[in-house]
Amino acid sequence: MANVTFPFPFPDHLIVLLPEMIVAVLAMALLLVDLFISRENKVWTAYLAIISIVIAAFATLQLSSGETVHAFYGFFVFDPFSAYCKLLIYVATAVAMVISIDYMKDEENIGEYYVLMLFAMLGMMLMVSATNFIIMYLGMELMALSVYVLVAYQREVLRANEAALKYFILGSLSSAMLLYGITFLYGVTGSFDFVEVGNALAASDSNARSAVLLGLVFLLAGLGFKISLAPFHMWTPDAYEGAPTPITAFMSVAPKVAGFAIIIRVMVDALPAVQVEYTAILTGMAILTMAVGNLAAIAQRNIKRMLAYSTVGHVGFVILGVIAGNADGYAGILVYLSIYLVMTMGVFAIIIMMRREGIQGELLDDFAGLSKVRPGYALAMAIFMFSLGGIPFLAGFWAKYAVFIAAVEAGHLYLVLYALLFSAVGAFYYIRVVKYIYFDPERVAFNLVESRAMQTTVVVMALAVVALGIYPDPLMDLCKQALAGLV
Amino acid sequence: MDLNNVMGFPILSLSIFLPTLGALVIWLFVRGDNAVRWAALGVSIATFLVTLPLALQFDTGTAHMQFEELHPWISVFNINYQLGVDGISMPFILLTSLLTVVCIVSAWTCIQTRVKEYMIAFLVLETTLIGVFCALDAILFYFFWEAMLIPMYLIIGIWGGKNRVYATIKFFLYTLAGSVLMLIAILAMYFEAGHTFSLLAFMDYPFDFTWQFWIFIAFFIAFAVKVPMWPVHTWLPDAHTEAPTAGSVILAGILLKMGAYGFLRFSLPMLPDASQYFVPFIVALSLVAIIYISLVAMMQTDMKRLIAYSSIAHMGFVTLGTFMFTQVAVEGAVIGMISHGFVAAALFLCVGVMYDRLHTREIGDYGGVVNVMPVFAAVMMFFCMANVALPGASAFIGEIMVLIGTFEANPVYLGMSTKWVAIAAATSVILSACYTLWMYKRVIMGDLIKDSVKTMQDMNMREFGYFVPLIMLTLWIGFYPLPVLDYLHVSVSHLVDQATTSKLAAAALAQAAPVLDAVHH
Repeated sequence: MANVTFPFPFPDHLIVLLPEMIVAVLAMALLLVDLFISRENKVWTAYLAIISIVIAAFATLQLSSGETVHAFYGFFVFDPFSAYCKLLIYVATAVAMVISIDYMKDEENIGEYYVLMLFAMLGMMLMVSATNFIIMYLGMELMALSVYVLVAYQREVLRANEAALKYFILGSLSSAMLLYGITFLYGVTGSFDFVEVGNALAASDSNARSAVLLGLVFLLAGLGFKISLAPFHMWTPDAYEGAPTPITAFMSVAPKVAGFAIIIRVMVDALPAVQVEYTAILTGMAILTMAVGNLAAIAQRNIKRMLAYSTVGHVGFVILGVIAGNADGYAGILVYLSIYLVMTMGVFAIIIMMRREGIQGELLDDFAGLSKVRPGYALAMAIFMFSLGGIPFLAGFWAKYAVFIAAVEAGHLYLVLYALLFSAVGAFYYIRVVKYIYFDPERVAFNLVESRAMQTTVVVMALAVVALGIYPDPLMDLCKQALAGLV
Repeated sequence: MDLNNVMGFPILSLSIFLPTLGALVIWLFVRGDNAVRWAALGVSIATFLVTLPLALQFDTGTAHMQFEELHPWISVFNINYQLGVDGISMPFILLTSLLTVVCIVSAWTCIQTRVKEYMIAFLVLETTLIGVFCALDAILFYFFWEAMLIPMYLIIGIWGGKNRVYATIKFFLYTLAGSVLMLIAILAMYFEAGHTFSLLAFMDYPFDFTWQFWIFIAFFIAFAVKVPMWPVHTWLPDAHTEAPTAGSVILAGILLKMGAYGFLRFSLPMLPDASQYFVPFIVALSLVAIIYISLVAMMQTDMKRLIAYSSIAHMGFVTLGTFMFTQVAVEGAVIGMISHGFVAAALFLCVGVMYDRLHTREIGDYGGVVNVMPVFAAVMMFFCMANVALPGASAFIGEIMVLIGTFEANPVYLGMSTKWVAIAAATSVILSACYTLWMYKRVIMGDLIKDSVKTMQDMNMREFGYFVPLIMLTLWIGFYPLPVLDYLHVSVSHLVDQATTSKLAAAALAQAAPVLDAVHH
């Protein structure tokens, strides 16, 4: 533990909450500061928000020592796993803010946008560090409420309102189910603490079994909603399409990281006693998710909707890591999410640039002929698409590889075979995007809205996809180490 | 031990990555179409020169892997960057580096749009192809095998013919779906063989029959799509027809060989018992390819389609020879692949020469070409004869060795008499003559009636130039195949040993070991 001293009294055991405190304080301060920033200079709000994230990231790195430290009398944990997940969330949020700056120039530019992203990020930070159902729920609601508002950001656009309303209603329902599930587990075990619940379940007699299973089903429904696991994925395409594109990018990565982190922690700490049951349920959901995501994506003409279904498909692959239920599987999930972050942020940065006079730039047709006009962006987009499709020498292959090998290790050979077949199906709609870019003639004039920040984002992400594709060893090693304290 | 291993010079890595490095330099620094062409030619010739020492310094006295390189790549999963070649893989590396030079020269004038991207795609493709033949780690093999799809997808899709989008997506999905099963087989073997991806370890590990059976099926589907074997061949005529000339050349010359190479590298040595079990099945599919596909070839009206079907028929010979487990047949299969690399490539180039002039591939649009293009007619005559496997051409050596090997194959291993198989396969000598010479007659011979044909100019020096090495190599192997056979001999004999040595006894012993231990104590 890094030795940090404060000029004022500070309870020692709360020091591991420093990143959360920094984000909370700075987000609220920024809300006030924003009042004094004029409409034209709102970009400064974005810069300040990004600086807050950098400070929080710095604090997280300072605190990480490879040890597991509890705070708030066991409500909160700081371990390598939560630190790694937090870093992923920081990167996702910060990149989403960077690509927001240009997007927001054409929108009603209000500073709360960035502050809400900070609050959503704070909720996710709480989620990945929660060791208690109550903290988990608090974090989840903080995240969800902030994201609902962000989805509805373009309040004069019909589809944004529709998307946000759908997302809100279904989200509230899923929260209710989650709470309902937790009450069952509390009823049986008398505790909200993950580890205590786990111990009590291991010791509980078979009379309580049906109550536990009922609780498990509702819990999985609630958690499944957050990570778009079919059949609880219905909100995803609408919310993705209606939200401002940077928020779509944000939503498709950061909440998924937090969601998977909490699922891993709950499964490992609280529910090992019902591993057979939750593996069976998740296997069924995974089979459905892979099919729905990958097949529905084929039918989409709007690239944001296509990527929404593609996210659903990817979630179906990632969940294999939980089904595998071994250290390699959880490490595989972290590898997958890290690589997914890089690919997705790059893709959305390009989509944002495609918005040009009078065209949303969200239809697949809008990409036709991009390679003739902007070969650089075309190449980057092709790299992201082949990578999402899991073709080697690009990072996406290793993402799939990492979870699949863990699932084979755990004996789920047929499930992996099924997943591989659907990854081949998935390749179809990714290479179709490449078809529009490279094979089709130009249909609409390209007059891209671009800035140094966007270009840098695209280039960095594309290079990262190639570099991680050729030499993924450091990332895989890092993810394995991140699990040290957990499994 | 050969000199290179002692010196530790990473000649295989250099051969693999030189084209990509060159492509990177071209991408970043070379401007102007002509400069790009010359630079790409320079890179491909340099790569060819780098691969030459593989043949010159090759030790023909050992079946061990040579020019080996071994570095940890992904330590978490024990994946290594392990390279090495033996007598079977080495010729294919040279074939790849040679055909890439030919491809780049052949595209000199007919590719006018996006020249830079075209050359980069070909150089990257060369990297992945050489990588496949060098890889001794299963994941590395898969890595190159799949990465090949990206440049090939773009080559067919961007510079192809009218139906290019359909053809390239079909090609991509067929191959991808096939390889998916290979990946799962590799993962299953990793856990069975004790957490290693080394091909050499897989060859030594005693898999029991059930394992071999299922893994064979998974590999078979992946390789059969690539070969391609009937009935999963339907992507090939489309891909060939729509690909630009050089794309067809590399497709016929190298890509098709990857499937057969997979059989030789994976199925036979790793899964000998399953391989023997499936012989009747493979023989049946090979005969269908040889006979039925030859008949299909005869009825084609598009020259490229005809040659594509002819390729499938010739690959039927290769799969037949591969699964006879005799020295002569397997060597014949490899020679057949190398020879097909020259002959089919040259025939596609011939069609390309005509296509550049009239922009049609229909047989009916030509006729009497000999009157305006005598030199070209002679060159095409030569390769048509080679395609028919006339004695003196390389294809003859391959086919006759496969037939002899099939005749003398030991029925004990195969559980069937192979005499009739050889006789059935021999009909291909007649059938291939039918479709090839009939096409030649309709296109080249006859009176000069069509006005469009009258305008055709004979080949220029550049076009003639890329046929020269192919003619020389075809004749060389046809008249004096001994040097190539020397490379093959020890490696193939080792392979035949592996393929005819059952792993079942060792597998049973390995399974019984814990029990025996318990009894001892």
